[in-house]
Amino acid sequence: MAVLKRTIAAVAVSLVAASLLAACGRDASHPSPGSDANAEVAELAALPWDSLVARARGTTVTWRKWRGDPAINAFVDGWVAPRLRERYDITLEAVEGQGAELVNQLVLEREAGRGRGTASLVWINGETFAQLRAESLLAGPWSGVLPSSAYVDSASPIISRDFEQDPAGFESPWGTVQFALIHDSVRMPEPPRTFDELAAWIRAHPGRFTHDQAFSGVTFLKMLMYAKGGGVEAFAGGFGDERYARGRTAVFGWLDSLRGAFWRGGATYPPDVAAMHRLFANGEIDLSMSNNQHDVVNKIRQGVLPPTARAFVLRDGTIANTHYVGIPFNAPNPAGAMVVADLLLSPEAQLEKLKPEVWADGTVLDVTRVPEPWRAQFAALADDPRAIPRDTLARYARPEVSPRYHERLQADWRAWVRGDGAP
Amino acid sequence: MSARPDRLRESPLGPLLLAALVALPVLLGVAYALLAALGVLGAGSSDTASLDRFATVLGARSTWRALGWTLYVAAAATALATAGAALVAMGFASNTRLDRSARALATLPLPVPHLVAAATALLVLAQSGLLARLLFAAGLLDAPADMPPLVYDGAGVGLIVALAWKELPFLAVVAIALRQDIDPALDETARTLGAAPRYVRRRVMWPLLWRGMLPAVIAVFVFALGSYETAVLLAPVDPAPLAVLTMERFADPALARRGDAYVLALVTLALAGVAVAAHEWARARWSATTVSRA
Amino acid sequence: MRANIPPRRARPAWTWAALVALTLSTLLPLAVLVLQSLATSWRWPLLLPDDYTAAGWRTVASGALGRSALTSALLAMATALASVLAALPIGRSLATLRAPWRHVAAALVFLPVAAPPIALGAGLQVATLQLGVAGSAVGVWLAHCVPAIGYAALLFMGVFGARGRDDEEAARSLGASGLQVWWHVLLPSVRGVIVEALAICFLISWAQVALTLLIGGGAVRALPIEVLALVRAGQDRDAAVGALLLVVPAMLALSALRFGARRTDALPA
Repeated sequence: MAVLKRTIAAVAVSLVAASLLAACGRDASHPSPGSDANAEVAELAALPWDSLVARARGTTVTWRKWRGDPAINAFVDGWVAPRLRERYDITLEAVEGQGAELVNQLVLEREAGRGRGTASLVWINGETFAQLRAESLLAGPWSGVLPSSAYVDSASPIISRDFEQDPAGFESPWGTVQFALIHDSVRMPEPPRTFDELAAWIRAHPGRFTHDQAFSGVTFLKMLMYAKGGGVEAFAGGFGDERYARGRTAVFGWLDSLRGAFWRGGATYPPDVAAMHRLFANGEIDLSMSNNQHDVVNKIRQGVLPPTARAFVLRDGTIANTHYVGIPFNAPNPAGAMVVADLLLSPEAQLEKLKPEVWADGTVLDVTRVPEPWRAQFAALADDPRAIPRDTLARYARPEVSPRYHERLQADWRAWVRGDGAP
Repeated sequence: MSARPDRLRESPLGPLLLAALVALPVLLGVAYALLAALGVLGAGSSDTASLDRFATVLGARSTWRALGWTLYVAAAATALATAGAALVAMGFASNTRLDRSARALATLPLPVPHLVAAATALLVLAQSGLLARLLFAAGLLDAPADMPPLVYDGAGVGLIVALAWKELPFLAVVAIALRQDIDPALDETARTLGAAPRYVRRRVMWPLLWRGMLPAVIAVFVFALGSYETAVLLAPVDPAPLAVLTMERFADPALARRGDAYVLALVTLALAGVAVAAHEWARARWSATTVSRA
Repeated sequence: MRANIPPRRARPAWTWAALVALTLSTLLPLAVLVLQSLATSWRWPLLLPDDYTAAGWRTVASGALGRSALTSALLAMATALASVLAALPIGRSLATLRAPWRHVAAALVFLPVAAPPIALGAGLQVATLQLGVAGSAVGVWLAHCVPAIGYAALLFMGVFGARGRDDEEAARSLGASGLQVWWHVLLPSVRGVIVEALAICFLISWAQVALTLLIGGGAVRALPIEVLALVRAGQDRDAAVGALLLVVPAMLALSALRFGARRTDALPA
């Protein structure tokens, strides 16, 4: 132990020395803004909206978001950004960064002790929100101040709770998605509709099914846990070790009994959804999946998936969740970030991104409460004929449970697949 | 300036400090990684240091499998690229247009990034990739599943091929330069003395090339060891390459497990350290023969 | 001076096989990328895309890819210049070291080249955050310079060490200043290696993914970052366009460099 302590001390000293060395090189005339954005957010939240907008005018907002989908990028860069510039003279810089990267980056920024960071707005939900809150890396509360927040569908448990957590004003919702499986309507006209049917189908068609290693794959396992472990009710209301143990037994029992019939005999799994789509498009597997029920339509349009691909949901229920935007504790421009969050939440933007030819991202607004002309336009908006009807989606939608379930399933699945002891 | 006494100029302190300055970011990184691995810095850290993370990571079967597999892939890719580069240098050594074109062809992909090599390998080597389609067109396959798996495969064939393809041009540049520095009289003498061309290649050319290439070969081995983009696009889930395992932990949904990434980074760093020492040893050993290029 | 090796009397049969393999392995991947960049869709079991579109290439002109290519080119040029400028005196200084220290110094300098990106990245993140340049192009440029300087310094250390210091001492004894020695003695003697170092340092920056992601924090959109994002989004057509942008201009530049260098005997091949 003494050796350990001495080592830590030595390393810490060298680290500090190096930091000091670096700090000497820092521009002394650099203005030192408030140590964090919390105070500024509290002050902004007390201002009338118009004064806040005036404060945001002429500024730049850096928004770290997932940039993996051209349809979403086109909406943000081609629709949101120009409107921000026109109306508020705000420059929107939408840059890459999501989930784990965001948390790591903010932790490091806090450790480095710099005044303000780089991003003013971040796209988050679920476990990222939990981690940012646990590490006090989000500023707030502020989301109730946004004028458009009045129309949010707060009656929906899927919107008012983020993986069972109360957003508490520290994040503002901006869209919903629902998990769906994908089949080829020509190759497989009648896809399995429940986990039991899926199991039978996998046994009958060895080598034709897999899931990815990343977020969508774990969401698939979580749905399996709901279906085989007594329904979402059995896991709702916070994380419980015993309840998880039951769910885990059900999940890995199902996987164990089928693994040999998976693609490549269950020895390996595609790294992400894109890789899985590639396998599906080339006929290596017969089913794909996506966290976004509308992904299939966007991907057909982009030529990634064949024109005959269709999404479907399992009658056991599929997970729906909401994505949000938050303001980091060290945001350089919280006022601008709030204006952007409000535009994202506005009926106009919500309608635009709901359009099937734009993104088909679900709205978080209660469309019966939004003012005209938006209400009529929401009502008149037709689904893409290739999409799952909205009432079907709503009927089978299941909420998320505590992010701990996701964490544990991910870790246990990796241990299971790599033989790191029995999960 | 010119009046500086010689003794001062010969003191090793100044140059060594300069070298340390160049290495400072790595040393800083090692310090940070150590503290994060001990759990006092980084996401999910606390105030008390512990060796728990070392115990967890070093106690996991997957870590050692990853280590072994990563070494195997890096070694295989390096060997393949070295052999290819040496063949190019020895087979196309003359000044004819054909040989010059062959050398140019071999070194043309020098600027191809790892990422592009991996993405292209996916298009060509996947079970439904171009190679499989050619075999299908030739009637040798009925479906993608009949194609032996070359990507995400346990033997790492696709990954090894992509890495070797990416590194061959760099080694070829080195090997070609070395080959051209070899005195042509040596070749001629050996042959006049009655040695068969094959014998000359094996007993004269290859040892000379190998000595000169060794530092570059070790450098390539280290790049192959640490390359993340190729690994994440082509490797199987089990065994996972160290770089993938590291990034997985770095982005783990559980904040408490992120520190594990730094333990893995330190393991990789230790491997790199051994390689650096080997590199230096090789340079020192052969510096009399040739000027190192890597 | 490199000697010209006289042509062999008979070409061994294996070299013909090697030539075919070489041609295929170099040109086939490029051809695949070109086809993929123009394909509307290209699925099993088609040997060629069933339909072609220039949509992918239009995205170059219309924004993201074109802009990131420019960012990358500027970054890589700045990295190459700064790294070679810094590495010249460092390499010269390290070349004066003798046996044990010489190896210690070389190992230290090689560390930034060999270290895994996550370890190097953490150190550079701490440093750039302290300097207030994290998340900016300047920070990314500094980060790229670290492995590039390591590489180039090692290269120069080797050449300066090999060439000895007699002419330098002579110049000094004739009263040349430090700068004059550099300009008239040292630089001309390593001109070829400088070109090589510039090229390699350019490529280190040009192909960099991990450091750009970590230090740039997503805000510096260099070309490899965009290509990685496209690959991971399954946008194979646009990814192929990006990949060709990464590969082809660099290949042309390098070939031109080599062509020009052949006359001055600077680069091999």
